[in-house]
Amino acid sequence: MSLLSVSRNSVKGLGGFKPIGAHLTLNYAVRLSAQAGADAPEFGDSSDEFRQLVIKPPRFVESKKTKKAGLHMVMSKDYKRADKIDPANVDWKSVWPGPRTFDPNSIPIPVRQGRLKPKARSFGKHANMELMKIPTFFHLTPPAIEAHCKELQRFCTPFPKELDTKAKCEQHFPLTVITNDYLHSSPTIRDPQARIVTVKLKVKDIPLDNHARDKFMRLVRDQYDEKTGTLTIVTDRCPLRKQNYDYAQYLLTALFFESWKVETWESEKTLEDMEVYEWDKNVSSKALASILKWTPDKLGKSVFHEPLKSEELKPEHLAYGAAVKEVVEGESKNGLDQYKTAAIRLLI
Amino acid sequence: MALNVTKSVWKNVLLSRHGCALTLERSISTTPACNKISTGRYKPLEGRYQVLTYDQAIKPHELVHMKSWNTWNTSTLKGGRRSQLTTIEDMFIRRFIHGAWFCNTVGEQIIIKRQHNIIRIAFCVPKTVSPQNCYFITGFCEEMLSIWLHCPVKLEIQTTEPHEGYAKVINPQGLN
Repeated sequence: MSLLSVSRNSVKGLGGFKPIGAHLTLNYAVRLSAQAGADAPEFGDSSDEFRQLVIKPPRFVESKKTKKAGLHMVMSKDYKRADKIDPANVDWKSVWPGPRTFDPNSIPIPVRQGRLKPKARSFGKHANMELMKIPTFFHLTPPAIEAHCKELQRFCTPFPKELDTKAKCEQHFPLTVITNDYLHSSPTIRDPQARIVTVKLKVKDIPLDNHARDKFMRLVRDQYDEKTGTLTIVTDRCPLRKQNYDYAQYLLTALFFESWKVETWESEKTLEDMEVYEWDKNVSSKALASILKWTPDKLGKSVFHEPLKSEELKPEHLAYGAAVKEVVEGESKNGLDQYKTAAIRLLI
Repeated sequence: MALNVTKSVWKNVLLSRHGCALTLERSISTTPACNKISTGRYKPLEGRYQVLTYDQAIKPHELVHMKSWNTWNTSTLKGGRRSQLTTIEDMFIRRFIHGAWFCNTVGEQIIIKRQHNIIRIAFCVPKTVSPQNCYFITGFCEEMLSIWLHCPVKLEIQTTEPHEGYAKVINPQGLN
């Protein structure tokens, strides 16, 4: 504070202000009361008594009148305007229309703030700088807010009745775009953080088949949250929000079409390259087909059949496939039991 | 701190009394600390009274408990922007207002509040300033400051009786 204040001399700024009732009498001389002038101050002795020799008189002599003067003279004299306001009949919205600094002449209520000693009475509202510092909400009275809302209602439209549930909102508006606006107490409204755009989308809302889904997941990597099934794209590389939003839209579009593309080299993928065990492409399903459609060749040996088509597969076949997959991915007691029951159900 | 100093001094005395070399076990300073804190503290003056406003009467370490800041803005909050510029602007505003009002502000206390892009400057002026002057200087300050600071500036003045706004009187030295 001292850095910001203009000068530390407090009395200088008062404009010819003199301390109240400080009648100073300086007397350095050693004087005999006998030789004192008629108008000289006397120190506690009347002329009738024996005269005293004052070696070093006190530097300040103050009368009783001065002592009592003190603070009550610096208090307010008369402020009538605020008292004339009748709170019951006045239109408060027009008295205090907007945010502004506390003004004791417009506030008809007694407000106090700040005290110097613990049990002293706190200072009143007049010339109280503490009250001028704090933000006030006199302009935000309930009737004022009501009036504001009534005015703003003309510019509003009702919320659509069809979107009464959250599920319906999500169904019709699957894309969520999040942007932040920042308000600073500074002359500029720009904030570099306002450029960041976050786009959220549930992956189940995007039409994808198995292959495209696999590719999509590979492309988005950790931007997909498995728990909620949400894809989150944050774009902040462009300087403007509009550009970032457009870039996010572009990313979504590119992701979708790129994941549906099937490249020529993808057909070269063999069973060894598979990341996940797929039963219907593996030997197990071929074996099942061979057993079910058993046909001997010329030598009496069994012919190896191609896997069953999806329309030929029965529920027990699928259950068997699931059991096989579980055993292959990680062998456990439970998995083996499942495999056993599935195999028995299949054969008997 | 005081306790440490007395201990070490006592140790010095003991050592010197026993004729030993003046070596201390721990290398701490034996000179008493000069805690010369004078900022924002008003001592009795020689030969004259001193009147303090509420803001001046409260010591700096009691800030927030007893009084609040003279400057209100969001620049020093986390993520706040242009704190340096704001500080320099505040210094400039204080000096400008002080000069433009001919040192007439009560206690030289000028409150600067920033709301969005508006700067509100609040202070007390004694009623010795004539209304004509008051209106002119208000308009002049608002106009000039809003041109320089590129944002709307509002002066919110409270007029006070000549000796109003002071909370404490400090007696001169030797008078209690």
